[in-house]
Amino acid sequence: MKYVDEFRNAELARAVAAQIASVTDPDRHYKIMEVCGGHTHTIYRHGIKDLLPDQVELVHGPGCPVCVLPMGRVDEGIEIAERPEVIFTCFGDMMRVPGSKGNLLEVKAEGADIRMVYSPLDALRIARENPDREVVFYAIGFETTAPSTALTLQRAKKEGIENFSVFCNHVTIVPPVRALLDSPDLRLDAFIGPGHVSTVIGCRPYEFMSEDYGKPCVVAGFEPLDLLQSVLMLLRQLEEGRCEVENQYGRVVLWEGNLQAFKSMAEVFELRPYFEWRGLGFIAQSALKLSPAYADFDAEVRYSTPGVRVADPKACQCGEVLKGVLKPPECKVFGTSCTPEHPLGALMVSSEGACAAYYNFGRKSFEKVEIGSRK
Amino acid sequence: MPDVACTLDHDGCVVCSDAGIPVRVISVEGDDALCEDATGNRARMAVELVAPVRVGEVLLTHGGVAIGRVAARDEEDI
Repeated sequence: MKYVDEFRNAELARAVAAQIASVTDPDRHYKIMEVCGGHTHTIYRHGIKDLLPDQVELVHGPGCPVCVLPMGRVDEGIEIAERPEVIFTCFGDMMRVPGSKGNLLEVKAEGADIRMVYSPLDALRIARENPDREVVFYAIGFETTAPSTALTLQRAKKEGIENFSVFCNHVTIVPPVRALLDSPDLRLDAFIGPGHVSTVIGCRPYEFMSEDYGKPCVVAGFEPLDLLQSVLMLLRQLEEGRCEVENQYGRVVLWEGNLQAFKSMAEVFELRPYFEWRGLGFIAQSALKLSPAYADFDAEVRYSTPGVRVADPKACQCGEVLKGVLKPPECKVFGTSCTPEHPLGALMVSSEGACAAYYNFGRKSFEKVEIGSRK
Repeated sequence: MPDVACTLDHDGCVVCSDAGIPVRVISVEGDDALCEDATGNRARMAVELVAPVRVGEVLLTHGGVAIGRVAARDEEDI
């Protein structure tokens, strides 16, 4: 299949792995963060880690939208969903993200009208079909997804659909990466940049990583060869003493991004002064809210959500895993009281969450970790 | 069929997987286009964000919305 087979060619993968081995300094340890949850999933699913020298460590970043959502925002969504006049719509993985008193799937089982959608446009269609009900869309996601919500709201406004609103939890990728770079906990050498986010924002927003922090970044695609080639490009930069933003995913990502998507987002959203990230705390200008021009569609205004803050369960170490300080199996509850079937923390919910990916595909590595070594 | 988020019938979460699905434009109808993925699944996609689009072009879609286009040199087949 075009765009898939050629990026999964085992022979080519072995050749790239050999090149990676040849440029790796045996006396050096390389710590590379893959920012995006989709990359984490590919790394485990395809055993990328096993093709890399021991000196190259991949650290999982904060790029899974449900994983970084604080519990308070989940609780507020559930409160809206429980209202009898509401049809609550959300993406698939959002249904199982634990709030302080349960998740959306449990609330649905108790009778709330909660529907899983593939696109915010599906939520708008439900609003058109149910003019006597209030339809709320729980918007999550980085800049890959935010344009879809923006476009949906533009259509809703154009069509004058009044029974539709959005509970906006869209976040932006650059501020948390900057927060990670400022964190004293973490010493990273380089970054694998998120491919599909970059389809929208382009490569320019990552230039601060090389210019201000001296860290190379390669924007990468999602197939196994994409990731291997990106690791090779980063190692070459490090070995040659270069520090740049490079685009491995040139078949899709333009350096300047998608300007039409930017324009759409600029009309519909504005930056929040600050937003809470699970594990990372409050980060300035790291999330989007609806602009005054779209306030009529803002579920936070329509339902006067209080903006509560709820602490994570004490046993849960999602924060440390999100920052790359702990590996998933080093969490106290990984694989015991926190599993994909019964997630305690958000990282175990989405298959792109670092813990779920590790649990499902990294068992070989997991088995190597001695129970006694858990912190 | 590959078990990845590359076709329109994968059952993962489009947002969490940061899915980008390449599809070919079959026909254009206003702000929407009927598109087909690599395995023949067809769906209507919003294309305002990459307009104008042409029949035969390959777009990258996410959650029912086209957010980019795939480089012309790769268009001969999906």
